[in-house]
Amino acid sequence: MERHSISTGVLVVGAGAIADLHVAALSTDPRSRLAGFVDTSGERAAQAAHRNGGVPWSTDLAEALSWPGVDACIICTPNDTHERLAVQVATAGKHLLVEKPLATTVPGARKAAEAFAGNGLTLAVAHSHRFYDYARTVREEIRSGALGRPVLVRLALLGSWIWPDWRAWVLDPARSGGHALHNGVHLLDLVTWWIGSRPLSVYARGQRRTAAELDVHDYLEMVVRYESGATAVCEMSRAHRPAGYSGRDVVVQGTEGLLTLPWDGEGPLLTDERGTAPLDPGVAYGFAAQLGAWLDALTAPPGPAATEAGVGAEEALLAVALGVAAERSMALGRPVDLEEVL
Amino acid sequence: MRVLNVLLAGSAGLGHQNHQADMYAPGFAAHPGFAVVGAVEADDRFDRPDVDVVSVCVPFEDRVEVVSRALRAGKHVLVDKPMALTSAECERIAAVAAETGLVCMPAYHQRFQPAVRSAREAVAGGKVGLPWNVQADFLVAGGGAVWPLGELLNFAPYATDAIQAITGLAVTEVYAIAGVNFQDAAGPEDLVTLCLTHERGLTSTVVAGRTPAAAGVHGLSLHRYRISGSHGTLLADCTRPAAEVLTAAGARRSWAGPGTVHRMLTELHAAVVAGRPAELGPADGVAALRLVEAARQAIATGQVVPAAAPRA
Repeated sequence: MERHSISTGVLVVGAGAIADLHVAALSTDPRSRLAGFVDTSGERAAQAAHRNGGVPWSTDLAEALSWPGVDACIICTPNDTHERLAVQVATAGKHLLVEKPLATTVPGARKAAEAFAGNGLTLAVAHSHRFYDYARTVREEIRSGALGRPVLVRLALLGSWIWPDWRAWVLDPARSGGHALHNGVHLLDLVTWWIGSRPLSVYARGQRRTAAELDVHDYLEMVVRYESGATAVCEMSRAHRPAGYSGRDVVVQGTEGLLTLPWDGEGPLLTDERGTAPLDPGVAYGFAAQLGAWLDALTAPPGPAATEAGVGAEEALLAVALGVAAERSMALGRPVDLEEVL
Repeated sequence: MRVLNVLLAGSAGLGHQNHQADMYAPGFAAHPGFAVVGAVEADDRFDRPDVDVVSVCVPFEDRVEVVSRALRAGKHVLVDKPMALTSAECERIAAVAAETGLVCMPAYHQRFQPAVRSAREAVAGGKVGLPWNVQADFLVAGGGAVWPLGELLNFAPYATDAIQAITGLAVTEVYAIAGVNFQDAAGPEDLVTLCLTHERGLTSTVVAGRTPAAAGVHGLSLHRYRISGSHGTLLADCTRPAAEVLTAAGARRSWAGPGTVHRMLTELHAAVVAGRPAELGPADGVAALRLVEAARQAIATGQVVPAAAPRA
């Protein structure tokens, strides 16, 4: 691989499961290098550092931000810390790729966004689904005009991968903001990007199917109305059975055509003694494309290409507002206008 | 097999529709259980000894009167859908049907799709456990809009009736979005999204509409149900069973087996011959119109609307 004389040193903050995906992406892009780990658990930080060639580690973000060779950060910590850590990173003069959601509240997202405004630093938010092949194919078909104006979008992500660990902080709404903010924002951002219009309202219904005692909804139905007249139906589920079930469904009905992705799977079908199941279709690695877009934005002068490639503060703030509106809609049992939460 | 004699009454419908000529007359003619003995209009008499079933497609202003008169003359009735234009009128028909004990079937034939039948049996057999969610798509490519009434009344009840057939759980709350997307803005709504809450915590989201024509598609471009339950997930694609045919002219599907009107008539025949209620009855016609009326209110107000009293 080509060697770049100047590479961006990236500090990974939060050494949990999602950090592994970002670190793997860092290793694929010659423009970046892993500069170290920060975690509130020294053991977790040390183990991550050890697994990745003995890079530096710390439990103190302020100290790590002062290390030479740290130009940027990837924040992979629980959602309720994003706002505070983002401000800290901006104050230290570093670029930031932060896991979604940007914050768990609209004022929090605004504060984080403002910390990066006008100081030449790049803030990107990891709405990673935008970088997967299926999402880009749908986006390209819409942009080509083949479908006309999109008027109805369905997007469902159903699966056990959403949280393998039923003890995780994700299930604590005080930490995650609720499921609509944690994973719901993936879909809310993606359909809004596809449709390309301003969302007006959200009507959301949540269920707690695995156990009534859950503090977050393991199944979400979120219906969004757009200024263009389009409607989006989004489903996010950790509730489907059997527990290993994995499904993704995309429908776009436009004024001139219909796009569907097969709802019963894209991979080869394996039938064995246990029954029939689709094999992994081997999709491209979205985290590498996401990192590449962020590095493009860091290294290139601002322009249309950079805007298109990454998810910036404004769009991430809108995703937070949609997630907050969905949570509010579930709490109130009625549709919520975006204006109520923005 | 006992052959039932059918009298065709009227040739009206929603907008330009003439389901009598397009669907029911050929359906009865092709079904071995029926013989068509004549065609009449709304003001003709039904008390003929040679008639077992009246197929009613009279104009909506005559629906209640004609269906009631046919039932009181001792005839079973197949009535085009919607059974009437208001839930109050549907209730009057249902009351007469209950009084006579005869079969009165509103022609929501899409619940007889093979995939819906299989799904219904699987749910009844406990294969998915207790259903807690249904997602439904009912998109038709091409054909003309049913002026001045739109697809909320015309297409959406096919899908909600199928959900009722599969789950047996009545609707308690409705939120709805409707738009004119594919025709000029003066037309009736051609695409609706219904968010329904049902008994026992079931929710459903139904998308229904008439889109522009698509090459290779004659009728339904997307018709499917995902039923999620406490113990499993069921995907029912109603465009199956069909062969997919790819030629220089494009791709198309070639349906395999009898159509849904034929299958509906088989249930009508079985119910009449056995002297039992049909599985699709006046209560389903009432439920469809109650839901349409609640959805209209939801569309007008932008709010969630309670559905009228659940079925008995």
